[in-house]
Amino acid sequence: MSNLLEVRNLAKKFTSSGGAFRKARTMHAVNDVSFDLPEGRVIGVVGESGCGKSTLARLILRLIEPSAGTLHFNGEDLRAKTPAQMRDLRAHMQMVFQDPYSAIDPRYTIERAVLEPFLVQGVKPIDGAAAQVEALLNMVGLNPGLADRFPHQLSGGQKQRVGIARALALRPSLLVLDEPTASLDVSVQAQIIGLLEQLRDELGLTYLFISHDLSLVRYFCDEILVMYLGRVVEVLPDTNGQACHPYTITLMNSTFVPDPKHRRVIRPLEGEVPSPFDLKPGCAFADRCPQVSEICRAETPELSKHSGHLVACHNPI
Amino acid sequence: MLEVKDLAVAFGSIAPLSGVTFSLAKGETLGIVGESGSGKSLTAMSIMGLLPMSDGRVTSGSIVFDGQELTTLNESDYCKLRGGRIGLITQNPMTSLDPLKKIGTQVDAVAILHLGMAKKKARANTVDILHTLRIPEPALICERYPHQMSGGMKQRIVIAMALAADPDLLIADEPTTALDVTVQAQIIRLLDDLVKQRGLALLLITHDMSVVAQTCDRVVVMYAGRAIEQGPVLDIFDNPQHPYTQALVGCIPRDLKDGEKLTSIPGTVPTVLNYPEGCKFHPRCTRAQNICTTVQPELDRNGDSAVACHFAGASI
Repeated sequence: MSNLLEVRNLAKKFTSSGGAFRKARTMHAVNDVSFDLPEGRVIGVVGESGCGKSTLARLILRLIEPSAGTLHFNGEDLRAKTPAQMRDLRAHMQMVFQDPYSAIDPRYTIERAVLEPFLVQGVKPIDGAAAQVEALLNMVGLNPGLADRFPHQLSGGQKQRVGIARALALRPSLLVLDEPTASLDVSVQAQIIGLLEQLRDELGLTYLFISHDLSLVRYFCDEILVMYLGRVVEVLPDTNGQACHPYTITLMNSTFVPDPKHRRVIRPLEGEVPSPFDLKPGCAFADRCPQVSEICRAETPELSKHSGHLVACHNPI
Repeated sequence: MLEVKDLAVAFGSIAPLSGVTFSLAKGETLGIVGESGSGKSLTAMSIMGLLPMSDGRVTSGSIVFDGQELTTLNESDYCKLRGGRIGLITQNPMTSLDPLKKIGTQVDAVAILHLGMAKKKARANTVDILHTLRIPEPALICERYPHQMSGGMKQRIVIAMALAADPDLLIADEPTTALDVTVQAQIIRLLDDLVKQRGLALLLITHDMSVVAQTCDRVVVMYAGRAIEQGPVLDIFDNPQHPYTQALVGCIPRDLKDGEKLTSIPGTVPTVLNYPEGCKFHPRCTRAQNICTTVQPELDRNGDSAVACHFAGASI
């Protein structure tokens, strides 16, 4: 299987402008992230708010410019592309956003919203606009009769389906899903996840699935990247694999299991995620880590093999 | 401690809530689960006497709190209960705090108003509560403003306000929805400890089945404004009787075996304007028969459990 996407040492820094009484500060939103996404696989990215998940998604589509690192999609170097070339390429890589309420222009009908990608790319729908809209709405399980409605007449789940239909309009091979079910109820979430599974099998799609919901990621993904403060701290090659990084373990222990028979004493992580501005040297997790030792505060751990998978920790468990 | 019987609420001619019955004892955690629009928050607001909009009113049924009927209570007596004997924790800590007042002042106000404490004593009380909520350096925190704190910390302050007057009943309406998993775990653990240590009764409203599984003793499942099933948490998860509860439990991504898929419920939750006749779940139900389209099933009580379905029973 060839790699559809290759990410190497990707980084994004945001710098706040300094003022007369304030120093300029740098925030490392994404720091030295590398991974391969083979065709047909589903990689999940998990982490708490502010760990850089969504920034990573936007960097991959070059919706924001990376500060460093390389990006290869289908063997092509994305960072070398001009904006016009990039726009052509985006027909093959699409994104589904977290908030279906704000992803669609409220003044567009559903038909116009679904046809917008064709307009942007200057592509004519294959068998005429109306037939194309019908086919796309059918594909995501929506009644084609909804085509002349407006977004406010649809429920959250229906709007998210429209978001998926738009992303699929130009037959992409990669879909970046940024928390596609975070604002939906569980029963609607189950419908959307079922739809995504079905589309992957039918259209041979590859997904990068970003979520804060560990049990959902374990269900849906083949491989999991765990992020903390902009860095990938652990790569779990299969979703039942044993975690070694103290942060991944705490994250798993803080996740409630939806089974009243398996109640456990939850030992929540004390303290809070440190500010991403002007990070100290060493491991970002050191201040909250039960395994911390001297080297953790001096050297930032690199991803290295430990019990069969990649972990960035000096004292893996 | 709290007994809700056949509660119905209407706004003009629209009736978003009807037939809600449940009870809650001291030291017990009762979960109310359901999807958006199922009437969970409306139930909480009815108990607090805070129905939104001027024409919202309780049309029938009763709410009895510690022997006192609440539906006929006048406003000034209600004010003494609210924040005093019944504490409320809302979903969004960012909007429950006054951005212009110091944390200490806001928490003090509760004890000053409800317990008639003097300012100094109220502050000591506040520091005490912040300490039990494991907030570091409580005296210092009292001098801060809400914008200087993180979401998890703000939610703890909201809990502190709810606890300041030493209530008997705590209503938590989606207390952790806006928070990250690690912070959620801290807050839920805290609430759990409070119930055990102080013998509080906790009414936990949430759409998150994993939170329910880990904390509640009993569960009420709501659908389209009605309580359709209730029982001990183990029964609800392992032996649900109502087809909706069964489907809802199937939607949770649990540790499924390889190849096993999530089940999903076809169709969408009806809005209050197009509630169907008869059982409100029948258009989406696999067991629906003719009777379901015309006759609303009543809650059928069996010991500690109750279910409202013509064809209730374990799934086939």
